Amino acid sequence: MNHPLCSRPVSNAFTRRQMFHGLGASLGSLAFTDLLAKDGVAASPLAPKNPMLPAKAKNVIMLFMEGGPGHMDTFDPKPKLNELHKKESKLAAGQETGFKFFVGSPFKFNKVGKNGIEMCDQWKYLADPYVADELCNYRGCQAESLNHPEALYHMNTGSRLGADPALGSWVTYGLGSVNQNLPGYVVMTELAYPQGGARNWSNGFLPANFQGTRLRPEGSPILDLNAQPFKTRAHQRRFLDEMAFLNEQHAAQHAEHKELAARMESYELAYRMQMEVPELADIQGENEATREMYGLNDKDTATFGRQCLLARKMIEKGVRFVQIFSGGWDSHDYLERAHTERIRSVDRGMAALIRDLKQRGMLEDTLVIWTGEFGRTPDNNKRGGVYSLGRGHNNQAMTMLMAGGGVKPGIVGSTDDLGLKAVETVHPIRDLHVTLLQLLGLDDNKLTYYHAGRYKQLSQFGGQVIKELIA
Amino acid sequence: MATSFRIRSILAGFSLAFTAVLHGAPADEAAAARSFTLKVLPLLKEKCFACHGDDKEKIKGDLNMLSREGLLKGGENSDKVLVPGKAEASSMFVAVTWQDADLEMPPKENDRLTKEQIELLRDWIAAGALWPGEAEQAKLREAERAVVSNADGVILKSSGGLADAWTYRRYKAEDIWAFQPVKKPAVPEAQAGNAIDHFISAKLAKTKTEPAARADAPTLIRRASFDLIGLPPTPEEVATFVTAWKVEPAKAWESLIDRLLASPHYGERWAQHWLDVTRYADTGGMANDYERSNMWRYRDYVIRSLNNDKPYNEFVLEQLAGDQLADASALKRLGGDAKKLAQTRLKGEYTPEEAEDIVATGFLRMGPWDNAMVKDEEARQIYRDDLVNAIGQTFLATTMRCFKCHDHKFDPLPTRDYYRVYAAISGIQMAERPLSYLPEERRDGFAEGKTFVQRMLAFATGEKKKITQKREDAAREWFKGHNLPYKTNEDRKNLPDEEKPARNVGLDFVDEGQLKVREQDEWIWERALERYEPMVQSVYDGGDAKFKNARKLRMPEVTKASLKTETYILTGGSIEAPGEKVQPGVLSAIGLRVEGAQGDPFVLPEDLTGRRLGLAKWIADARNPLTTRSIVNRLWQHHFGKPIAGTPNNFGVKGGKPTHPELLDWLAADFVEHGWTMKRMHKLIMMSQAYQMAAGHPQMDRLKNDDPNNERLAYFPNRRLTAEEMRDAMLSITGELNPMLGGLPAMPEVNMEVALQPRMIQFSLAPAYQASPTPAERNRRSIYAYRVRGQADPFLEVFNQPNPNDSCDMRDFASVSPQAFTMMNSDLITDRAIAFALRVQKETKAPEAQIGRAFQLALGRSPSVTESKRLTAYLGEMQQYHRGVKPEPVTYPTRITRSLVEEFSGKIFEYEEILPAFEKYTADKKPADVGAETRALADVCLLLLNSPEFAYLY
Repeated sequence: MNHPLCSRPVSNAFTRRQMFHGLGASLGSLAFTDLLAKDGVAASPLAPKNPMLPAKAKNVIMLFMEGGPGHMDTFDPKPKLNELHKKESKLAAGQETGFKFFVGSPFKFNKVGKNGIEMCDQWKYLADPYVADELCNYRGCQAESLNHPEALYHMNTGSRLGADPALGSWVTYGLGSVNQNLPGYVVMTELAYPQGGARNWSNGFLPANFQGTRLRPEGSPILDLNAQPFKTRAHQRRFLDEMAFLNEQHAAQHAEHKELAARMESYELAYRMQMEVPELADIQGENEATREMYGLNDKDTATFGRQCLLARKMIEKGVRFVQIFSGGWDSHDYLERAHTERIRSVDRGMAALIRDLKQRGMLEDTLVIWTGEFGRTPDNNKRGGVYSLGRGHNNQAMTMLMAGGGVKPGIVGSTDDLGLKAVETVHPIRDLHVTLLQLLGLDDNKLTYYHAGRYKQLSQFGGQVIKELIA
Repeated sequence: MATSFRIRSILAGFSLAFTAVLHGAPADEAAAARSFTLKVLPLLKEKCFACHGDDKEKIKGDLNMLSREGLLKGGENSDKVLVPGKAEASSMFVAVTWQDADLEMPPKENDRLTKEQIELLRDWIAAGALWPGEAEQAKLREAERAVVSNADGVILKSSGGLADAWTYRRYKAEDIWAFQPVKKPAVPEAQAGNAIDHFISAKLAKTKTEPAARADAPTLIRRASFDLIGLPPTPEEVATFVTAWKVEPAKAWESLIDRLLASPHYGERWAQHWLDVTRYADTGGMANDYERSNMWRYRDYVIRSLNNDKPYNEFVLEQLAGDQLADASALKRLGGDAKKLAQTRLKGEYTPEEAEDIVATGFLRMGPWDNAMVKDEEARQIYRDDLVNAIGQTFLATTMRCFKCHDHKFDPLPTRDYYRVYAAISGIQMAERPLSYLPEERRDGFAEGKTFVQRMLAFATGEKKKITQKREDAAREWFKGHNLPYKTNEDRKNLPDEEKPARNVGLDFVDEGQLKVREQDEWIWERALERYEPMVQSVYDGGDAKFKNARKLRMPEVTKASLKTETYILTGGSIEAPGEKVQPGVLSAIGLRVEGAQGDPFVLPEDLTGRRLGLAKWIADARNPLTTRSIVNRLWQHHFGKPIAGTPNNFGVKGGKPTHPELLDWLAADFVEHGWTMKRMHKLIMMSQAYQMAAGHPQMDRLKNDDPNNERLAYFPNRRLTAEEMRDAMLSITGELNPMLGGLPAMPEVNMEVALQPRMIQFSLAPAYQASPTPAERNRRSIYAYRVRGQADPFLEVFNQPNPNDSCDMRDFASVSPQAFTMMNSDLITDRAIAFALRVQKETKAPEAQIGRAFQLALGRSPSVTESKRLTAYLGEMQQYHRGVKPEPVTYPTRITRSLVEEFSGKIFEYEEILPAFEKYTADKKPADVGAETRALADVCLLLLNSPEFAYLY
């Protein structure tokens, strides 16, 4: 039987024997896996696979600044805007209408490290040369949509419609995941979802195993993660064995129903996660130096810091793709206050993450990306008759940081002197996606999935590799 | 291969040019002039002129392409931009092929010309690059536009776009299927009554595919029961049906359908589909998420209408203009006395029939909306935009949002029509209106609910007073110390600073923080008392009023229905850029005239009543192809798990094309011919052979490749139970379900961690969620559960209950691990398994019999010998296990401490909240309340609830 899952990326040496050994499989699950094997399915859809091309990176940590940080207020200084501050703007970009005026950045900028990376003075920890020297600042990317959910979908899934597989799903589909006891693709958000909700980490038309699993920021990382206290692990194993038996009986009668395999696997994964996740999410054991480094002792930096620390631990444990969403960057007004606070909330955790990965020798394998869904406009309109010092949405210029994973440190591309448009090394989002895949050793032309009668390309239309970004 | 092709086409080009020059054949020349005017010039305009001519100041590369002369002159890079007759020698041609890395035009990958466009340009140059004058161009365009249909497609007449190029653009006929009138296709005489199988078989026959065999009786009753009432059949119902089926299958099947359609649970099940689309919730969403008290009256209206098989056209009319229908009826009843009508409106004293119509307009209040931090005009625009889009998606399968800022990119929908519809609803003002309850509206639980709310309110008020007391004591001291007479907080507000104490004198940051919380809570609970008042979330017609606040939207004493609001095309969708003024109207592209329209056939009357009622009537018109196709498509969808036209909220060019277009039209026509009754349509669909097919197929391997989405319907598509079916089915199986219909929102028990977790509202934390104290109140059907936009029930959410802020036309069913956690570990599932076990124990004693009964209840069948043996052994093993463990009793908190950041100081403070619902709480039976035998049997029950056979329908 031709199962779509075995259509492309080649499964490597994760044999069935290892699988059983690793999972402590009993008779029930053995029977079930056997059923899958007969079906021609690789033992686990998340089993690690060899990259298609020589790879520079193995894992990805994506720090998503939801709302769209101002490039001219973070890493791409525009002194001209300060000269034009509050002078009328006739620019047509963005969604704002009526009288518009230029807005100078409230922040001062410095060059940091040996590669000339520029940062506003609010970045205190990231500016340390040990960290800054690893950074690549890419200024040439252009988004398409001016709307948050569509732009978020575009950056996360390659499509503005929000029903397609997310980047994290592509990568776990293409490479599998080393740790079979954790999801391959983990998402962390604040208590509230980002705009566009769970579709930002959806598996789309890929099997549900490739969906991002969201860890809650407070309380249980996953609701009902733990078994009822009066049920032991052995009791649960017996339960799953019986379930596998029922599933097997049922699947035999419904050969047409492929979802049954994914469903059973979701139970098995749940069982394994029950062991791994609490241990992973527990940061009580971290020493004071680590706590301090990630900013866990300060309530303003603790949420993102903890998520960064968890991201490092997950990558260490073999999770393939980790994504952290940090909201509140949509500064239409009170830019100075809001961006100061947002930068403060992520600066420490993010710097600690890069530092920690570097110290542990993990940075070369791990691609860290910091981005929003688009950039911001050089100008703004009045709100309620007063000059509101903020910025609109800009789909023609933005800024992003990358580190590790085979990326070349330094500045790549540029925007015009107002920060209105990208003008050098200009590329659409799909080129960025293709470049990320390239770094991970995935050929976007071959990263396809058989769906609706054809091999669908996960990167949608393909694109061109941004060579300037690669070391 | 590619090279030889190119050479050939170059040669062809040469010969063409040669011919043209030699003979100057007028026919060819005319064709070339036509091709240039209609195709090449628009292409140049779209792709080149922006940089090469439109802006005289900034002409790139010194190349002006606006005229043939300009092209012949060339630019700074080349003087051979255009060499008439020689495409390959013309740099403008080379540039668009992107063959030369230094010369790629247009420069953006996104804008690159398609193969066809490149050929067009090549042909034009090769034929001599003819460029007729303006007058001739105009003539050619006019001639072209006179032809509605040609090889390039169809022109669809509409009220007109912002530019002629849009107005006269052509569509592929198959893309605009939805905008064409419904034509009932002819079917063979024998199948005229039910033509479904005729169309399904015809499509299957084309690929020589046999339809799947008929499903067996137990499968069919389970399928039909969930489809129609959202509940599993009882073992007794299964047995009765199977027996009847053996005697006479057709008759058994038909009477089963009749029985289910007559069940009041039918309305509950199908209302859920409607509420998914219309975005039902009991709160208003956004930052404050204010309660919309009495919103349930709309939910019950939908259920009632379905149960009464209200014709769909009436259903549409009432939801869009029920308030107007009610007033018209009342006015007639009152002998035309407008003053008396005004009184009736203010007091809400309508007849039950009129009241029903007003309740129906809850539809107009469904979207999330709050005007906090938004200017009035903008807040109003947000509401109207939302409503226009909701009306489009719900009734017309049209995503209106797409032509708010410009003419529709793909569909024949000009932005003018958007604002015409916008104008049609611009008289609507939101309001909580007084309206007596209908006799059929259930008012159980009013007294208990009110007592509970009063208790919460008293606590908030009491706590607040403690703090204000402290403040006033300090204020008294202050006045005394300053030798001034004491003034209350209210009285001293406007005094100069030096004549009064500081604002929060005597209070520390904890007091200040708490005061804010208590004030907010006091307001919330005061407002919650309105749950028990005869009010309805509805609308009235009136001019633009100033919004007070989304907190309270009341109807003014005097409303001037004669008021008109003016509407303009808002350029780019911005209220600050009004363009051309528009009149209220409808979507022109479907060519359906407004009844009684004078002049422009797509314009509605100006008066506020006339315009909205007119729009409603136009939508509910039997000839409106969007309306009729949309509803039958939805009905089909919820029987087969998939629609005929793939995107039920969007029939546009980019939506999913119908898999069986003729069937869709046949159904739409038949639906209207038979009085728009939905129950009849359900029966028609379910009586078809297609609906009764098995979910498997002997040639499944082939079909999975040929037709992976089962578009031909060779077999019945299986589906997972929806979130609500899952919960309701469990309650039904365990015997816990309280089947009561309608009324106040139910408060089921939800995951306690989520119930008590902090939920931010604008200035405070929302009060914790408290479940109802008795199982009967909690264990109602899921459609009655209190729906808070900002806080989903995690069980329903994990099984893909949609977010109520977006219209959901199709549920998602992916299997993910969080579902497994819920189904194995949650308190909810543990409680259900215990209840299930207790029921089975009560009904049978021997282990084998217990397992048999559990199978019957959960899956509607007996276990196989293997299953029985294996699970009996498992039961024994589990009894052993449970004798060795002692579960802890479960307690529910009656108070909780919460913490929040105080705004001015940035410091964290704590406060206590009471949870009186848990003081006299009758919990469901917990593991500690039952013995080892029950817990062991509960493990077996849990297994069945987790089995795929329970989760999926075939």
